[in-house]
Amino acid sequence: METVLLYLGYFFVSLGAVFLFLGAFGIFRMPDFYTRLQAGTKSSTLGAMSLILGVGLMQPEWFFKTLIIIIFIAISNPISSHALARGAYKTHQKPLTDTIDAYEEVVKEDETKNEEE
Amino acid sequence: MKKLVIISLLLVLGYSLMNTFSDIEFGKKREGISSYFLEHSPDDLQVANTVTAIVVSFRGFDTLGEVTVLFLAATAMGTILFRRRSKHTGLNPQRKSPQASRIVQAAGKLLFPAIMILGAYVFIHGHLTPGGGFQGGAIIATGFLLLLISYRQFKVEHKYVTWIESLAGLSFVTIGLLGMILGPHNSFLENFLNVGSLNDLLSGGVIALVYIAVGFKVGAELTGILDTLINIRETGDID
Repeated sequence: METVLLYLGYFFVSLGAVFLFLGAFGIFRMPDFYTRLQAGTKSSTLGAMSLILGVGLMQPEWFFKTLIIIIFIAISNPISSHALARGAYKTHQKPLTDTIDAYEEVVKEDETKNEEE
Repeated sequence: MKKLVIISLLLVLGYSLMNTFSDIEFGKKREGISSYFLEHSPDDLQVANTVTAIVVSFRGFDTLGEVTVLFLAATAMGTILFRRRSKHTGLNPQRKSPQASRIVQAAGKLLFPAIMILGAYVFIHGHLTPGGGFQGGAIIATGFLLLLISYRQFKVEHKYVTWIESLAGLSFVTIGLLGMILGPHNSFLENFLNVGSLNDLLSGGVIALVYIAVGFKVGAELTGILDTLINIRETGDID
């Protein structure tokens, strides 16, 4: 049982390392802010979570603590990337290629609604 | 060409760093004063974390100086920046920045208690685990920073911050002076309580108390600094 947990832990740690590497690689290779943000935050969320889960499996007495850290990352990391993306949008960061901006219409609707009120 | 220069500079830097650190053997038994600290902090003081034992006990007077430096920095910043703020805005400055999104607000509300608990945990367990008053105080300040950036209307009451800070500093000095009166050798910051046994929460005598005071002080100071800065930035008085 312990060796199974150990090798499962190795698997999750290497998975996390791969995803963190891909995230760092994506920040270098991607062309504009939004794609970089996507590469840097999505893969680092999964990478950090699986890395910490792997550590928890290797050391079963830490498992509960690692679970708490995983929950914290699952809450905080997507929200921080959301805030970054929203800040970039509000300061008129343009994507590199032509994209369909569905959010623009929502913002316009909100503005007209606010004016009516 | 530029890259080559950078790489060669990095190589020189790395070589000099390697030269410096290669003399220090990893995991070797330390001699001189380091071994004294390593041997005496678990036995005499019953403190599991040697760094805390050094910071609060062996050189506790210096830590008092550090806390004072931090206090001076916070005060100086408040003095310099507050004048500029009161020049333009009236009594009730309203921040101009757009409201943070509802997701960020909900997350701030959710994470704030957890961050507070973590900060308190770090400075209460300063004598057992890595971390201590300064780190725990910084964590608490980040909790307030989260509320400051997610709620535009959130304000830190500087009156209470100053009170907490002053009381914490006062209790640090009081503990030190009590050591002078009650301690066996009558020296500043000396332990006068029961030291307890190693790895217990109630161990280390006054070290735990001093670190709790430092935690409150640092947390209050950094919160005050952050509030001053965010109000300056957001009321937009500095052009």
